[in-house]
Amino acid sequence: MRLVEIADLVVSFPQDEGVVQAVRGVSFHVDAGESLGIVGESGSGKSVTCMAALRLLREPPARISATALTLAGVAMLRASRRDLAAIRGKVAAMVFQDPMTAFDPVFTIGHQIAETIIAHQGGAKAAAMAQAETLLTRVEIKNPAAILRAYPHQLSGGMLQRAMIAMALSCRPQILIADEPTTALDVTVQAQILQLIKALQAELGMGLIMITHDLGVIAETVDRVVVMYGGKVMEQGPVAAIFDAPRHPYTVALLGSMPGAEPGRRRLVEIPGASPNPAQPPPGCPFHPRCPQADARCAAEMPPFRAIAPGRDAACWRLQ
Amino acid sequence: MTGFILRRLLSITVTFFIVSLLIFLAMHSIPGGPFDGGDMPMPEAVRATLMERYGLDQPLYVQYAKYMWGVLHLDFGIPFQSPGETVLELIGRAWVPSLVLGGLGVLIGAPLGILLGMAAALNRNSWIDYLASAFATLGLTIPVFVTSMGLILIFAVWLNWFPASGWPEPEKWVLPIAAYATIPLATYARYTRSAMLDTLNRPFVTVLRAKGLSERRIIFQHVLRNAALPMVTVFLPMFIGTATGSIFVEAMFRVPGMGAYFVSSIRTRDYPLEMALMLMLTVMFCLAYLISDILYAWLNPRIRFGGRKG
Amino acid sequence: MTAALELRAISKVYQLRSGGGLFARYADHVAVRDVSLAVPRNGIVGLVGESGSGKTTVGMMALRLTEPTSGQILIGGDDVTRLGPAALKPYRRRVQVVFQDSYSALDPMFTLAQIVAEPLHVHGVGTATDQTGQALDWLERVGLHRSYGQRYPHELSGGQRQRVAIARALILRPDVLVADEPTSALDVSVKAQIINLLQDLQAEMGLSILFISHDLSVVRSLTDTVAVMWAGRVVEQAPTEAIFAGARHPYTRALLDAIPVTNPALRHQRRFQTREELEQAAGGPGRLRELAPGHLVEVPA
Repeated sequence: MRLVEIADLVVSFPQDEGVVQAVRGVSFHVDAGESLGIVGESGSGKSVTCMAALRLLREPPARISATALTLAGVAMLRASRRDLAAIRGKVAAMVFQDPMTAFDPVFTIGHQIAETIIAHQGGAKAAAMAQAETLLTRVEIKNPAAILRAYPHQLSGGMLQRAMIAMALSCRPQILIADEPTTALDVTVQAQILQLIKALQAELGMGLIMITHDLGVIAETVDRVVVMYGGKVMEQGPVAAIFDAPRHPYTVALLGSMPGAEPGRRRLVEIPGASPNPAQPPPGCPFHPRCPQADARCAAEMPPFRAIAPGRDAACWRLQ
Repeated sequence: MTGFILRRLLSITVTFFIVSLLIFLAMHSIPGGPFDGGDMPMPEAVRATLMERYGLDQPLYVQYAKYMWGVLHLDFGIPFQSPGETVLELIGRAWVPSLVLGGLGVLIGAPLGILLGMAAALNRNSWIDYLASAFATLGLTIPVFVTSMGLILIFAVWLNWFPASGWPEPEKWVLPIAAYATIPLATYARYTRSAMLDTLNRPFVTVLRAKGLSERRIIFQHVLRNAALPMVTVFLPMFIGTATGSIFVEAMFRVPGMGAYFVSSIRTRDYPLEMALMLMLTVMFCLAYLISDILYAWLNPRIRFGGRKG
Repeated sequence: MTAALELRAISKVYQLRSGGGLFARYADHVAVRDVSLAVPRNGIVGLVGESGSGKTTVGMMALRLTEPTSGQILIGGDDVTRLGPAALKPYRRRVQVVFQDSYSALDPMFTLAQIVAEPLHVHGVGTATDQTGQALDWLERVGLHRSYGQRYPHELSGGQRQRVAIARALILRPDVLVADEPTSALDVSVKAQIINLLQDLQAEMGLSILFISHDLSVVRSLTDTVAVMWAGRVVEQAPTEAIFAGARHPYTRALLDAIPVTNPALRHQRRFQTREELEQAAGGPGRLRELAPGHLVEVPA
């Protein structure tokens, strides 16, 4: 049984100006102990995909459908509110992008970690706090006792992110979803946090989904990567293969336009144009307006997502 | 913090004197005196004697100085319209019904308003929301004397459930309290609704759901506490404004409260009473705001525990 | 040759509430300590640092948006450190700025043409028709069609808005452009566009650019020399490739180590130092020594 199974996920938000199609048919899976990266730019639908998987979007207005959406065997679309509360935090936990706004400002860190533990495992507050302290040590916080009593506004971004990771892992989830966990942090702190997440994932044997726009982060942290654009998956495969030999034109262009890859001051390879507007996605392949290889078929028909090599899939007419 | 409080107390004192001066000047700028006209115009000699007795023939600055000197000794003079008692005794007597009815009105109306606001916020855009919001808007826009008349008409005349007069027996209090409660209820309903909606939109609420907490815990433990913070500061000033009595409610329900005196003291040029009432209001409001600010600083961890630990 | 922009030993000290809570005190916070930097004519200088390093404060001082507590700011050789608003106005034309958040940098009530023309209007250059014409020319120059002049900021994407901000900054033909994290809020595929645009315009106009960023990768592709800031001071300064080839200061090395490496073959096992370890290794404020030609490194005093 796959740890995470998502097939044909569609998420849309009807709004006054029209329907925003954030996710338009996304499929991927994660096995136990595996780490998957979802990389994409703003508007690609990567965050919405994972929020939808945990049913964290307000429905309505969001409309979610899929042929399969299971976490550890639980069909998320059919789960009741009570089931969902039992699953979130216990089976699958999430770490969010901005640690500074992720905590309730009127409660201490310790209280917020302890309440997660109590909610899923019951028990007394004192025991939960002790467990919280152990967790804070696990995420490499030097003075856990003091941090337990601290309020969110008293801590730096890096500390808060570690606390959020501790909170997410407090009930030993099988799946950890990290949504841009380091984007709001300094570069040096980012490196430490990523290393921490990777170590904890290996230690606890969890499945990891890492969402990011940063290709470097992907390269360092995950085994497999899914490249999303315009609400759809463009390419999928093992990380080394994707970086050494990208096949989809979008992946190729993305890797080519990364600054600092080569020494010296230089003009970079650009991708002309801008990301598609989710409220008015272009027909056919979402990348075709910016693709150097696009032809008439690309503009008219959406290419199917198919295997192009063992373990590698892509959605591109040029590759089939 | 100590510095803050001391500075505020100083500014309250300054405000006090400025207000006293302004009120004094305003009072005396209205033509006519307390002993002119009336039903039976009195002989000029009698009027002159009365004016001299109350010191009203003296220059204004002397009158002001004498009055404020008295105030500092907590002597607010004698009300012209009721010379058998001191101003303090009059206020002490008249304030009781206003405080009881107005105070209960706020103490009952505010929590009801909060509940209404919560229901509206949690069922956003549903019929509950529209009904609650409409009710709150009506509460704020319909003048209180119209509300009072409505209450009397419906509950005293048609249904005969409650009497139309409001004092002194407790069973007579229901309708005036209901009249007083409308504004706190409406205000808190609107406040609560928007504060809760604001809080519900904040990122940490999504994180709470992602942790698997029950919706009930999220609302009552987390959202309400965050939304309540700004609402705490509104309470004291609202209480003071209502518990000093509304002339309309007291007139409609024939309550011998303080509300009427605010207007009558101006009409009858009852200077000592007028000054005392205004000064009392000033000091109470200033203190109310000061206490609210301190309370807010105390409850908000960001202000109470500043500084970084990590 | 006089530098287009020169900062001489500038410092900025703020009075901040420290301790905290209901009873607070005030203490000195040194945001910038003794920073000297020169942006040569026609050159691009990078200023790199993380949050709290003081790099944005340096940029604000260079623009005279805030006054340094000590030190001097020279624009084209003229000391503008203590000039009042009226005396400063002609210098404002010579130093312009582009910020990180293009959304809040453009007034949502104005059309793009009005936004780009505004500097001309403020400095009284040309008639109204001239101004609009120039604004539209500049929109084209930054890669947007002239017809965009009628549009409003909210109709554009992040990258497009940043182009408008650049057009507005350059329409007065300044000598120096201070760019404070102009690409940080942009998508990866759009970063390259803006970097290229800046390079092209710089070459065309002989512009000097002070490029402030936390992203060493972007800095690598764009700048001639780099100054690395940490805890309010410059800890290393050298030609860009010299930094990448061999950084000397422990903080610079930590920054370089932290850049995620995409080629798995180049990755090596790195130890990431905590802030305490860095502070130990770097020590307190020291002085800059030239350890190699053009390569300044902070060493213990």
